[in-house]
Amino acid sequence: MVHALEEIRRLLKPAGVLIDIHPVAEGTPIEIHQAGRIELAGNLSVPQWCTDFEQADSALAEVIQRGLFAVERETVFDSVSHYDTAAELRTEQMEAVDKFARDARSADEGKPHVEALADRAEELMRAAGGGAELILRERAHISRLRPT
Amino acid sequence: MTIRSDPENNEARALSAMASVNGQDVLEIGCGDGRVTWLYADRAGRVTAIDPSAKQIAVARGQLPDRLRDRVEFHAIAFEDFAAASAASAFDMVILSWSLC
Repeated sequence: MVHALEEIRRLLKPAGVLIDIHPVAEGTPIEIHQAGRIELAGNLSVPQWCTDFEQADSALAEVIQRGLFAVERETVFDSVSHYDTAAELRTEQMEAVDKFARDARSADEGKPHVEALADRAEELMRAAGGGAELILRERAHISRLRPT
Repeated sequence: MTIRSDPENNEARALSAMASVNGQDVLEIGCGDGRVTWLYADRAGRVTAIDPSAKQIAVARGQLPDRLRDRVEFHAIAFEDFAAASAASAFDMVILSWSLC
């Protein structure tokens, strides 16, 4: 990713700006909401994703340390996804595991965790009865960097 | 299937607070199906949005509204290939959109 950031710097005009948005390397809570009550089904934490997010942090730190970019502003926000059923969560997250896997082995490593979480969410949704909503709260880091 | 992604607009607010895209020449890397592109494209001068997934780019192109057709382009290409074919100092803003390159 360091090379990509060097290329981005080349593509930017001298007064240009880089906006980086990437997830924070921590578990993503999956919650069941119903009538003001919140129950935690678990935390989505695929090991390879956390490693990738940490590598993104390290690459940014390296280009800042080398003086290629300077951080002008940064914050975190929660990107919240709402699902009506656990099946929707299962399908979307299994696709994400495949999409972001480096290889077949890392995809295989992530899937049992997603399956277990989706099973637990399904159980809690069933127990909650009608009107329950499944919410995935993904924390992301956003920063504005200026080429220096 | 009903998945509502960020109906609270947390991401749009965070992006707006970070920088003004008004009239800017923007390169978005890792645009996927255009989910983030739609948050700012109306205000940008020109948008070049890229993603290596041809399937995702097809979805984005299919959702591109007529009013943005002359200002927004989607390309199915890896960033390293795009960068190799691009001139220096071409963009006012680059958005790394949930992309780890």
